[in-house]
Amino acid sequence: MRLDPEALRTLVHRDRVHRSLYLDPEVFDLEMHKIFGAGWVYVGHDSLVPKLGDFITTRIGKHPVVMSRHADGKIYVIHNSCGHRGAIVCNEEKGNAQIFRCCYHGWTFKTNGDLDAVAMPRGYGKDFDLSNPALGMGRVARVGIYRGFVFASLSANGPSLEEHLGHARDSIDELADRAPDGEISLGGGVHKYLFRGNWKLQLENAVDMYHVPFSHESTVRRSGKQFGRRAGEDSASAISDRGSAAQRWEQRSAWGSRSNGHGYNGHQPIAEQLPDDPVFNAYRALLERRHGVQRTREILTPKRHNTAFYPNMTLQALNQHVRVIVPVSVDRTEVHVYPVMLKGAPDEMNKSFVRHLNVTHSAASLIQTDDLECFRRCQDGLNAQGSDWVWFARGIDTDKVDERGDYVNTGTGEVQQRAQYAAWLRLMSAEG
Amino acid sequence: MLDKVVTMAAPLGDLRTIEKFLIHEAQLLDERRFEEWRDLFTEDGYYWVPLEPDQTSPEGRASLFYDDKRMMDIRFERLRHPNIHSQSPPHRTCHLIGNIAVESVDERQGECSVISNMIMTDYRMRTQRLFSGRVQHRLRQEGDSYKIVMKRVDLINCDDVFELIAVPF
Repeated sequence: MRLDPEALRTLVHRDRVHRSLYLDPEVFDLEMHKIFGAGWVYVGHDSLVPKLGDFITTRIGKHPVVMSRHADGKIYVIHNSCGHRGAIVCNEEKGNAQIFRCCYHGWTFKTNGDLDAVAMPRGYGKDFDLSNPALGMGRVARVGIYRGFVFASLSANGPSLEEHLGHARDSIDELADRAPDGEISLGGGVHKYLFRGNWKLQLENAVDMYHVPFSHESTVRRSGKQFGRRAGEDSASAISDRGSAAQRWEQRSAWGSRSNGHGYNGHQPIAEQLPDDPVFNAYRALLERRHGVQRTREILTPKRHNTAFYPNMTLQALNQHVRVIVPVSVDRTEVHVYPVMLKGAPDEMNKSFVRHLNVTHSAASLIQTDDLECFRRCQDGLNAQGSDWVWFARGIDTDKVDERGDYVNTGTGEVQQRAQYAAWLRLMSAEG
Repeated sequence: MLDKVVTMAAPLGDLRTIEKFLIHEAQLLDERRFEEWRDLFTEDGYYWVPLEPDQTSPEGRASLFYDDKRMMDIRFERLRHPNIHSQSPPHRTCHLIGNIAVESVDERQGECSVISNMIMTDYRMRTQRLFSGRVQHRLRQEGDSYKIVMKRVDLINCDDVFELIAVPF
C-alpha cells in the first residue's frame, strides 16, 4: 500500500505538509474513507427539518444521505439509496414526505429509513424475507446531536460525539446562548459556492487570521478600516499589516486540538461597542430576563471569532454563520453558508443578520470572493514543481501546550492548521 | 454609445422608450460604468437577486445580491480597488435583453412594472459562463428619464452552486 502510515508520516511534518495532499486523487479517496467515512461529520441542523416528515439531502464524504424528522419527532440520518437496486430515493435538496418512494420500482420507505413496502411482493419467493432490515434504506451507524447540530458517523466504533467535540463544543454554546430562547435557526436560506480547489483549503482558511489584511485588501479603505457592513455604520474594524491595528490583530488568541483537529481564533481584543438602539436594547432585555445582567454581559462579549470543527463545519461569530464544506473531488469543493438566526430575538435583528451575510458571504459578496480566488490560485499554483511543501510554520517557536495537551498561540500564527494536520495524520493512519 | 436615450414625449410605459432604457442600463454594466449604473436607481431603490425560486422577500432569506444605493457604493468602490484579486484580471460581461413587456402602469405613482428575459455571459481566466433569467423592473418616471425603484433578477439556476460573481446581472 503506497499510502501506509509510514508513507503518510513523510508527508506531514510539524511545520509543513506535502503538496500531494492537495493534488493526489488517491490521497483524496483515502480521506473520504478514513476521515469522512469513519469519524464524526457534521450533517445539518435540526432547524432545517422543523416539521414531521421534513428532510434534507446531503453527503457524508461520498455517501449520499438524507436527514429527516420522522413521525416520532426524532432526527434520523439514513442512506439515500434504495434497498432494492440502489437508486437515489430523495432527489430534492429538501422537502416534506410521509413516505419515501423510489422512482425505479416503487419500493417505499418510512422516513426513518425502514422498508415500508415492496411493490408487487407476490412475485418474490417464500425464502425472500421482505422484513429483512437490509432491504430498507438503512440508517448510518451513529448520530449525535448537540444543541441542534447533527453529526453522524458511518462507523459504529470510535470516540463519542462528546469526546470528539471536546473543548470546541463551547463555541456552539457561545453562539446558541446568544439566542433569547437558547436555540439558533439555520432556516434563513443558504449561500452555495463552488471552488476549483481542495477541501482543506477552505478548512485552513476558516481559522486563518494571517491572510486577512492581504487577501481582503480590497475591502480596506485608505483609513485602514474595513468598509461598514451594517446600516448606519460607516466603517468597521481596523485591518492592517502595520502599526497598532496589526498589533491588536496579533493579540487574538488561537487554539488548536492536536487530537481531533478542531481550532478557533479568539475575538479581536478591542472592546467592541455594543449597539445602543431600540432593537438591540429589546434583545438585551430578553437575554437579561432569562440570564440576569451579569451572565448577559458575558454572553454579549464574544470570546471566539471563528471555530473550525474538523473536518467539515465552521462557525463564525462576527458575520454569524455556519459553513459546511462538501468535498467533491481532489480539486473541487462545494461550500454551503447558512446565516444564523437567534430564536426569540427581535425579527428585525435576525433580518439584519441575514442581510449582512449577503454582503460578506454570498457568491457575489465583498469578502468571500477574495478567498475563493485565493483557493483557486493555490490549487493551480501547487502544480508547480519548485517545491514539495506547503508551510504552516508561523509561530511554531512560540506554540504552547495547554492543560488538555492542545496547542495555543496568538491568532495570526498557523497553530490551528498545525493542529488540523496532526489530526489528519492520526486519522489517516488509523487501522481499518 | 447611447446617452440620454429617453425622450419624454413618450407616455409612461411606452415600450420603445423602456427598451432603450434597458439596453442603456445593460450597456453601462458591460462597459463597467458601475457608478453610472448606480445613478439609475432612485434614492430608495434596490437591486435584488434571490437564491430561491419564487422567493417572496429579500428580508429574512439569503440572497445573492440585495443592495441599496449605499451598498452599491461600497461594492463599486471595492471593484475599483487596485488590489482586488478576484478581478485581476476582471470579468468581461455581455448582457442581452429581450421579451420585454410592460406588466402594469401606475399613472398616479408615475411608475410602471416591466418584465424581460436576460442572458448574461461572463468570461474570466479561460472560463465562460452563461446566466439567464427573468427580470422585473419597477421604473419611475423622473424628469426626462426613468429611474429604477427595484430590479429583481430571478436566475433559472438561482439555487445552484456558484463560482465567484462580480458584475450584476
